[in-house]
Amino acid sequence: MYTKIALAIAFSPRIEALITEVKRLVLLFDSELVLIHVGIKTPELEKKLDDLLQRHGCDRLRIKVLWKEGKPVKMILKACKEENVDLLVAGALKREGLFKYYMGSVGRKIIRKAPCSVLTLIEPKVETSEFSKVVINGTQLEITPVVIEQGLEFSKTVKADQVSILNEIKMYGLQMGTASEDSEDEIAQTRRQLVQNEIDYVEQILQKLDKGNLRINIKVTGGKWAVELARFCEKTDADLLVVGDERKLNFFDRIFPHDLEELLSTLPCNLLIVKK
Amino acid sequence: METLNHKEVINLLLQIAAMLIMARIFAEIARKLKQPAVVGEILAGIVLGPTILGYTMPEFQQYLFGSHEMANIALDGFVQISVVLLLFIAGLEVELQIVWSQGKNALKIAVASMVLPIIAGFVVAYAFPEFLGVNINDRIVASTFFGLAISITALAVVARVLMDLNLFKTQTGLLIIAAAMIIDVLGWIVFSVILSLSESGSGGLGVWPTIGLTLVFTMIMLTIGKGLINRILPWVNKKMAWPGGLLSLSLATCFLAASFTEFIGIHAIFGAFIFGVALGDSEYLTEKAKEILHQFINNIFAPIFFVSIGLKVNFIESFDLGVTGVIVVVGLLTKYFGAYFGGRMANVGRKESIIAGFGLSTRGSMDIILGLIALEYGLVSDSLFIGLVILALISSIASGPLMGWAGRLKI
Repeated sequence: MYTKIALAIAFSPRIEALITEVKRLVLLFDSELVLIHVGIKTPELEKKLDDLLQRHGCDRLRIKVLWKEGKPVKMILKACKEENVDLLVAGALKREGLFKYYMGSVGRKIIRKAPCSVLTLIEPKVETSEFSKVVINGTQLEITPVVIEQGLEFSKTVKADQVSILNEIKMYGLQMGTASEDSEDEIAQTRRQLVQNEIDYVEQILQKLDKGNLRINIKVTGGKWAVELARFCEKTDADLLVVGDERKLNFFDRIFPHDLEELLSTLPCNLLIVKK
Repeated sequence: METLNHKEVINLLLQIAAMLIMARIFAEIARKLKQPAVVGEILAGIVLGPTILGYTMPEFQQYLFGSHEMANIALDGFVQISVVLLLFIAGLEVELQIVWSQGKNALKIAVASMVLPIIAGFVVAYAFPEFLGVNINDRIVASTFFGLAISITALAVVARVLMDLNLFKTQTGLLIIAAAMIIDVLGWIVFSVILSLSESGSGGLGVWPTIGLTLVFTMIMLTIGKGLINRILPWVNKKMAWPGGLLSLSLATCFLAASFTEFIGIHAIFGAFIFGVALGDSEYLTEKAKEILHQFINNIFAPIFFVSIGLKVNFIESFDLGVTGVIVVVGLLTKYFGAYFGGRMANVGRKESIIAGFGLSTRGSMDIILGLIALEYGLVSDSLFIGLVILALISSIASGPLMGWAGRLKI
């Protein structure tokens, strides 16, 4: 599924955990690893990295280390493009202050602008994270068929126990409010139909996919999908949330945060952002 | 505090009961005929008002709606509250997420479908003020008002039509909904600016301060206001009775916002509308809560308002075929072609642009409120207002069949 996985490294205390996490993924997906460091290459840092990779038994032959100098976001994105990376792994973003939120931060920019899918780990651990409970955004969006497909592939590879696909009924309140012109039976019928439409939509996508041994259930909710997903992940103690991203980020998205922005500001669990 | 006396209380209660009953009967008939409820409610008002009941049973009509001044004032209070709540619910319907997701295409369609009617409406009204019945002393404002009134789309009505046609969830449906939401927001901003123009001569705030205040109020409501709502609402949901706490506090805040905008010189309904947008955009306002708000406002306050229209003017005496004809033709053509060309400019397919054209031509809510305000301000005559109401009736009746027809086109 992923032939090249990249990890942007800074020599922070979390580097070890991130490397072990990414090593596990590289083994699971049988892919190559690209390590990207933005900063000056010094013999000390090089040695530090070598020691680290050796200590965790990483296959140096399948690892490429890139040392780049320049603006972090720009260089990381450039490296991903040049190397044709399929998946970029990033450490979690800490909650940001108001100023930083409006002006943007490195992590957020990378996530939104990356040319490839991005996996954000909220608590990278040396003993690696499990992805036992996976939640996929099934809300009717252009990118959703791809998100479900990749979400299932990922879940199969990491041997997830439970996959939930959550669907939002768009403008449920408006639709049901409008339906209140009808009789009681008709309203109940409209309500049922709205739920059924969502289930049909997901089932149609699932039909064409290989589900392996995955246990999949479909949940339907009314409300804004980003918020509902965050709530659902928290409630069910999910390990991974899979969502799509098809839009470019602009300044208005920060003034009026929505969808992905809201998810990024709460980060209920690890997050896989699928791009086309 | 002065109170209503025994007879006035009886009169007021009878008035409201008559309005709700007639609205219900006609809404049910409209429902049977697969028409929007608003069509029935407006017709109920015409029947109950001077036009029909006043003609057939003048004494009874006089007793019901003209015998107790105090009761009428109280009823007017009800109608005012209904208008504020209608605007509140209209704001609640605006989903910024849908607007963002449809992006520039919706914006192009919305703007084009507003600009053409506003310009055409302005030109016609400015050129023939006496014929159309716009106030010659306030010619520019009155003409712009007329243009704006024929440029509005009724989001609630078009949502209903789209649901009936099973188009709501389609790309075209969402595009129409998003465009209608943008039209609502733009329309109310333009409206408050025009209103300030009208008052500038008589000691109002003046144009630029009003434009500034309108934009500042909108921005603050949608950023800081929404932030506050996001802080307070979870607490209200958790600690207070549900939905009691939410309903009473959201309405209270809506009235506060309305009184604030009225105080700073923008019309009260603008505050209610923008507060509705901010509240509706909060993730803590559940869809269930929205549904409840919709139900009680749409079924209690909306009928009172739409019936009250018929009580205000005589649809036969003040009816002018020429005026109505011009309004209907100009209104339908400019709105349709504006939306159609907007769609084409945004590279939307021909068929989809035709559907959007018919969809956005749907009227029958905010446009009537605009017309009524213009009537109350003395900017337009009764016959022009009647023309607007008839335009609303025709467009909301026709938009469903026309959109259905366009959907079957093989182009």
